[in-house]
Amino acid sequence: MEELEFYAIIDRAYPWFPPAHDRDSIGIDLSNSAYDPDLGQEVLEQVVEGAQLAERLGYDGTLIFEQHNTPLALFGNALTGAAWLAAATENIQIGAVGPMINAYLSPVRLAEEIALVDALSGGRLTVGFPLGIGAQYHSMGIMHPVHARARFHEAVALLHRIWTEDGPFAWEGDFFHIPYVNVWPKPRQQPHPPVFIPAAGSRETIELAAKYRFTYQAILTPLPVLLRNCQLFRDLCEENGYESDRRQIAAVLGVHTAESDQQAREEIERHALWSAQNIVRFQFHESFPPGHVSQSSLRAMMSGGYRSSDPSQVTWEDMVAGRTGLIAGSPETVRQRLADITGEMGAGRAIVAPEFTIPMWLQRKSMTIFAEEVMPAFRPRGAKAVWQREPRPAYQTAAERVGREPRRAGRPVVSVPGQGRVDLY
Amino acid sequence: MPPSTASEPVAHVPVRRIDVRGLEVAYRRRGEGPPLLYMHGLGLSQRWLALYERLSRGCDVVVPDHPGFGDSAPAAWMRDFDDLVLHYAELADLLGLGAFHLVGHSFGGWVAAEFASFYPERVTSLTLVTPLGLRVPGEAPADLFRMGTEARLELMFNGRAEAFFGRGTDEERLERLLQDYADLTAFGRFAWNPRYDIRLDRRLGRIMSPALVIGAEEDRVLPASHIARYAELLPNARVAVVGERGTPTGHAVVAEEPEAVALLIETIMGGQ
Repeated sequence: MEELEFYAIIDRAYPWFPPAHDRDSIGIDLSNSAYDPDLGQEVLEQVVEGAQLAERLGYDGTLIFEQHNTPLALFGNALTGAAWLAAATENIQIGAVGPMINAYLSPVRLAEEIALVDALSGGRLTVGFPLGIGAQYHSMGIMHPVHARARFHEAVALLHRIWTEDGPFAWEGDFFHIPYVNVWPKPRQQPHPPVFIPAAGSRETIELAAKYRFTYQAILTPLPVLLRNCQLFRDLCEENGYESDRRQIAAVLGVHTAESDQQAREEIERHALWSAQNIVRFQFHESFPPGHVSQSSLRAMMSGGYRSSDPSQVTWEDMVAGRTGLIAGSPETVRQRLADITGEMGAGRAIVAPEFTIPMWLQRKSMTIFAEEVMPAFRPRGAKAVWQREPRPAYQTAAERVGREPRRAGRPVVSVPGQGRVDLY
Repeated sequence: MPPSTASEPVAHVPVRRIDVRGLEVAYRRRGEGPPLLYMHGLGLSQRWLALYERLSRGCDVVVPDHPGFGDSAPAAWMRDFDDLVLHYAELADLLGLGAFHLVGHSFGGWVAAEFASFYPERVTSLTLVTPLGLRVPGEAPADLFRMGTEARLELMFNGRAEAFFGRGTDEERLERLLQDYADLTAFGRFAWNPRYDIRLDRRLGRIMSPALVIGAEEDRVLPASHIARYAELLPNARVAVVGERGTPTGHAVVAEEPEAVALLIETIMGGQ
């Protein structure tokens, strides 16, 4: 079996709101009067617990989302959440997928946050840049769907330059004019943390991931489309003059592991149906505010029967039969299906998601079985996590810091009356 | 019952195309007399309404599709209303309109208000029909971005859109949806955020030509307070509400009440 890195999605939904069955969607205008601080605290603490558990179990990374204006996930700023999770753990990679660039007034502020979280975490940040689902564009005041892609691409280009070129430099763009780009601190991971680009299939987005050697985070689409996109990504990497690394393709999969296939089904069927009936429940016009999708993509989508099946009518059989969707079963089943799908995709990373509403005890059980009986099959002998096998960017001790012989660009001096300039140290 | 004039077959007026410094613009034009530039509203691109036909009896009526709407090419370089205003100044020059009567409906009313505040000397008279564009605190227009094509048209036509447009085959409805998304994207380019232009509060004071602001009896898109506010800000404006035919008129009053709207426009053009 090909090796895989495992990121555990640990985000959880806040489920205590009036059922989406009676509404158009749970985005945009589901009143936050449904938020109870005690219930919210519980959800947030479960996310922290999930990160700590993932570390103890030996996952390579954890992952949280950024969502706005919805109870689907409670991190409105993924990097703030990542900073907390980094402090609550020691070694595991902290994935924040992530900041919606268009919710930021300036990419410089985003670059500062990324560098700070990466520095404070000892170089454990993985950051992802989703364009943001359409529904999110209604609630931030500064996100404009018509300009979204162009502004997003310019911001990524600026971030990449911030990471790969010393400041100060001037940025003279269509959306940002910054006379002095000169970000302090720099990220702990050099030149920059791993970057995931979630893409459902937009060619422009896949091109962007290939151009900057980022990771293409392949969001669920029908399998043939997904496999075509993975090949497209590899071809685009080649066009950019390099051969892609398997880890540059990350498969996103719903995974639940139990003692047997039947047991797995009994444990999560209702939770999986809840997700299908709530989380993906967006009207067309909410998923696609004006300009969010090109006319040609829209035509292709509509001709292909966009949402021809009502998500609320989805059955368990549909979910487990759709090979890119949910993987639920015994360790043997999960191993096999995981190997099949990541093998076909040529993916070197698997981002595994539990159902977002299962009780914590059940999530612990599923994650534990997965870590003990599935992950080792995809690892080199010894089954260590990446962070156990590879050197970390941060030093661990004062002695190590000195031993690294850090480069001091200047020495601080002080003018002392009668003595002139003397060294501060 | 919609008035009979709205559903009567309208003479076919062929689409013409003009190159405005690299931007292909589709427009329809008919009639002789003083020039009248008409700026269409959302959902009403690509057509020659009975209102235009009626106005063309006494005017040289020009109805362009806004950039990105209908048959006009999108202009990705446009960032704000000033780009659109300059575009219309160039188009008017190319078509040799000189000074002209300006009429705008809904989003087109907003564009017309912006144009007139930049070029008051070019506007002989200004008619705004159920115009968007102003901020009236607590009285926001309906959120046109949060509904599908059919729901939006029904809101504009007070539930009579299907009677106006016809249901169409599945294929026609798909094409309508795609065109509507293109139009909505072009609309969103200017009107997504903010959904008003607070600068109009001061700028409208520059427009000294006679102005008419037309409202509907039951506008489900735009609260009546916007009609009153426009009239308050325009130095030389009066207000008219089209209706009193039994069924209350709605946002798309230009499509449903062509005769009544045309009569009002003719009075303002006549300087009354």
